[in-house]
This record gives sequence, structure tokens and C-alpha cells, in this order.
Amino acid sequence: MFAFLLRRLGWAILTVWIVYTVTFFLMRSVPGGPFDGERQLPEEVERNLLEKYNLNDPVHIQYFNGIRDIVANPIGEKFGPSIRLADYNVDEVIAQGFPVSASLGIFAMVFALLLGMTSGVISAIKRNSALDVGFMAAATLGISVPSFVLASVAVIVFVFWIPIFPAAGWGELSQILLPALCLGAPFAGYIARLTRTGMLEVLGQDYIRTAYAKGLATRRVVVRHALRGAILPVVSYLGPAVAGILTGSLIVERIFYLPGMGSHFIEAALQRDYPLAMGMVLVYTCLLYVMNTLVDISYGVIDPRVKVE
Amino acid sequence: MNKPLLQVENLGVCFHTDNGTVNAVNGVSFQLEAGETLGIVGESGSGKSVTNLAIMGLIPSPPGEITSGEVRFRGEDLLTMDSQHIREIRGNKIAMIFQDPMTALNPFLTVEEQLTEVTQLHLGHSRREARAHAIDMLEKVGIPAASRRIDEYPHQFSGGMRQRVMIAMALSCKPDILIADEPTTALDVTIQAQILELMSELQHQEGTAIIFITHDLGVVANTCHRVMVMYAGKPVEKATTREIFASPHHPYSLGLLNSALRWDESHGGMLRAIPGQPPDLTQLGDGCAFAPRCEYCVDACETAVPPLISVDKNQTREHACIQDLPSIRQTEVDV
Repeated sequence: MFAFLLRRLGWAILTVWIVYTVTFFLMRSVPGGPFDGERQLPEEVERNLLEKYNLNDPVHIQYFNGIRDIVANPIGEKFGPSIRLADYNVDEVIAQGFPVSASLGIFAMVFALLLGMTSGVISAIKRNSALDVGFMAAATLGISVPSFVLASVAVIVFVFWIPIFPAAGWGELSQILLPALCLGAPFAGYIARLTRTGMLEVLGQDYIRTAYAKGLATRRVVVRHALRGAILPVVSYLGPAVAGILTGSLIVERIFYLPGMGSHFIEAALQRDYPLAMGMVLVYTCLLYVMNTLVDISYGVIDPRVKVE
Repeated sequence: MNKPLLQVENLGVCFHTDNGTVNAVNGVSFQLEAGETLGIVGESGSGKSVTNLAIMGLIPSPPGEITSGEVRFRGEDLLTMDSQHIREIRGNKIAMIFQDPMTALNPFLTVEEQLTEVTQLHLGHSRREARAHAIDMLEKVGIPAASRRIDEYPHQFSGGMRQRVMIAMALSCKPDILIADEPTTALDVTIQAQILELMSELQHQEGTAIIFITHDLGVVANTCHRVMVMYAGKPVEKATTREIFASPHHPYSLGLLNSALRWDESHGGMLRAIPGQPPDLTQLGDGCAFAPRCEYCVDACETAVPPLISVDKNQTREHACIQDLPSIRQTEVDV
């Protein structure tokens, strides 16, 4: 297990380096710069600005300086000042936005798992019943409606028609619920379908017949004997699901005016705020990497035949 | 007269599928006395497994449906019993082991978890009692280092060892009846012999009655007191093991015997297979289901289904054939 984690860490460093390199050169190759605007800046002003952000060095020096800053200071400040948010360091922006985006993502994920797995299991047990058809129709709807449409409709219904949620803002539980539901809905739908399929497959296995032959009640057969096998497809889907929730949160945060990282990400890319965009990309990279590692480990925990190596 | 332990009367099971209704079991009757071993023999699809799943109440419904009959266990009809009550009998009074020990054990749970849940459920054992009992059972079925191996998962056991675990699990509550559905088919021959020996040993110790489902007549000869031969969901012959090997009264039984290896007979190097295929159970005709494959078939066979008739006065021996097979074979030999 320790060797596994160590190897994973090695791959993580390699991955972050590759992502850094690709992002760096992609950003630099896009036409335009951080200080291009409708109004041409005086030459001296632009030169001073470039100097402030170390952007007048040759590109390869900038590239290596960026790596040096990260390697030298992996915990503390490593990205330097943001260009767009001139008074803040990129690290501060991340420190402020990350908890918001993370809580939104966790809420959405938990909601998706709870709703998706419950309805999937019920659908499988009561196959072809009205309940099954209803759940699967709702799941298909959840998967196919884009989150910005769902979010807009949710705002109309739950903010204006039935005013039980605030329209925007951050800090209270009621403010996180609506965006989390909108963000999690497509994933709940997908997880419901995966759980149903997995459950149906497992319920046809010989060892389920053995469990019934022991005299166990249906509930116990499902929970103890079938569920673990049935959620394996869901577990493998969690990696991509986390990626989806991360990118989905960019849109949902925008619609509900949440002070998360999503809006910074979009703005940084549009305005060529190189340090901020780099910071965002690397945070998301690390997050995804950690989640995928957790998924791999939990696979071994759920299925004893899988050895984590 | 003493009531038999298990009495099956005119059991009928069908499955409703997209291709029509499959009449898997059509009027099966038999009885089982305490402590005896009954062999149920037939090709794949002859209804032997379905019969026993119906006894356990394990026919999935839909698509399955029990269309007729009674299954009396100690006088109570299992088919009309409420689900709570039959769960108390399943795994407790009537236990079952299955053909493929590779798939019949849950790969996600340790052997301990799978063994102890039966006794916790039926005997009210605490976790500790259940574990001690489970280790006892594993030792009894011949698993070395049982107290250590009990914490392992099924995939860490070999096929023969897994079947031993299945047997330990089935016998945990000292059932009155053990239904063994081809318990040795998936195992290689040396392991087969060990498992059969183990089962008869445990039967002697515990006095369990066994229903042995198989298509292997060698297994029947070794283990069973009585045999019921099934074809197309119906019993075609019932006899003691000795009688059926000595003189089969139904052409299908004869066909099965001819297609099996026997140490006391020379086949001139060739085994004789039964020609043709088992019938389509969605459309059974008016006559004897075996008629199209039968070398002794006469016109009358194709017009009416021959009933089971007793051969001797005690009614221990029955067969469903209008021909007198032993005397026909006798004349063949004379000519």
C-alpha cells in the first residue's frame, strides 16, 4: 500500500509537470496579452507593468521561473500576484475560492450518490414497475438537460414561484442547496442508471440464489450480498464524475453568483491572466488526481479480488 | 402408516417467456424418507433442478409460475406457506448446495461472514458462537487450518475446497433434507470422489436425507438408495438403484445406462448415445415425449401420454412406458 502511494506520488509530479508545460505554452501561444485593450497603453506604462509581473523576461526564463517558484514553495505562495485581481496573490484567490467550490462539489456529489444509488436499487428490485419507469425517465431527463437550463428553471420555480430558496449568495445552508442540486442532477441520473444495471446483473448471479436458499430476507440479500457488487460500476464512474462536477461547477457558480473558483477560471483565461489561469489549472489537476487515486483504492476495499498495486 | 419426510404431489412449474410458455415440470410426484438418498437423473432441461428450486420456493416469479401440486414437508404444504414461514425452513430444515462452487459463493464476503449468517439467523447464535460453530463445520468437512482460513475470501480457495465450504454452510443448521444440485459436476474426478465420500459420511453422522440431482449414473450408483429418472419435466421411471441398474423398465433409462461407462460391462469400445435432442418444452405433443427418440416406439406411443404404472405390488417401482421393456430385451437376446 505504501509503495502504491509512493508510486502514485511520483506519477502525480510527472502529471503536474506535463500539465504545467502544456498550459504554459498554450496560454502563451494564444494571441493577445494581459494588457491589451481597446485603449493602447503608453509604452512606459506597459513596460513597467510587464516588469512587475516578470513578463518581459524571455519565455523560457518565465517557464523555468514558474517551475522554480512552485518547487521551492509547494505549500506557501507559489504563483505570484494575479493580474486581473491586482491586489491579490493567486494563492490567496485559490484559498478563498477553493472552500466554496469544494463544498459545492461535495454537496453535489453526496446528493448525486444518495439519490442515484437509492433510486437505482429500487428500480432494479421493482423492475418494470411504475416506480422503475418513473425513476429511469427522471434519470434520463437529468442526464440530458444541461445544467444551465436546469439551474435557470430551478431559479424560476424555487426562487420566484415558490420562494423557499434565495437566488444567490453564499454562507448559509439554504444558499448551497439549490446550486448543489442543479450541479448534481445529471450525475444522480447517471449513477441511478449504473446502479440499476449493476444491481440487475448481480441479482442474476448464483451467489444471490445461494443467499436466498439460506433463508435470508430480500432486504438482507440486497443490502449485504448484492449491493457491493452492484456499485462497482458506480465507483469506476466516480473519477469522471468528479471531473464533470468540477467543470460543471464553473457554470453553476456563475448562475448563482457563488464566490468559488469557477468564475476566476473563466475570467483568467479570457483576460490572459497567466498566473491565475495556471494556478486554477494546477489546482484542478491535483484535485482530479487525488480523486482518481481514492477511487482506485476504494475499488480494492470493495472487491477483495482486486489488489491495489 | 408413517408419513414421509417430504412428499411432492403432482408438481407443475412453467415459465412464461417471449417464445411461449415453457412447461418445465409437468406433474412430478415423489416422496423422501428421513435419512435416505434419492437420486434424480435426467438430461439438461429435464426439469430436475426446477423441481427442487420449486421445493425451496426459489422459482423466480415472474417469469416462473407454479401451476399445480403440493410439496408437503412434515405435513405442511411449502407452496402455500407465507414467505416468513418458508424462510425459517430454507437453509434451516431444507438446505441446498449448487453445481458450481465458483459462482455460488459470494466473492465479496469472507467465508466467515457467509457461514455465520445462517446460524445467526436460524439458531440465534451470537457472533462468537457462530464463528466457533463455523470453524467446527469447516473442520468437519475437512478444511485444514480452518480457524485461519475462515477469514479468507472464496477466491482464495480451490474448487473442491469451495464445495466443502458450501457443504459446511448447508449443513450448519443440521437440516432434515439436503438438496444437492449436481454438486460434483464442476469438479475434477478425484475431487468428485472426495466430495461424494464426505457427503455420505456426513449423512451417516447426521441422518440427513439427501436429494441428489445429477446426470451422472456413476454418482447415482455410489450414493443413492432410490432413483427417479426424469424426462421432459416428468418422471418416467422410479426404482431402487439396484433395480434400475439391473433391469431398466423405460427406454430412456436404458438409453442413459447405455451412454454411461460401466466397469462391469464391455461396450466394445463405443458408448451408445441417445439419438436426437430433448423435446421443445414450449410445445409438447399428445404422445409420449420420448417417442421421437425411442427405438421401441410403436404407434400407440404417439397418441397418448403413458401414465406411471406400478410394476410390483408394493408400488416401489413405477415406470411410464406402454411397452414391456425387459421382455422385449429378453427376446432380442434370445434371437
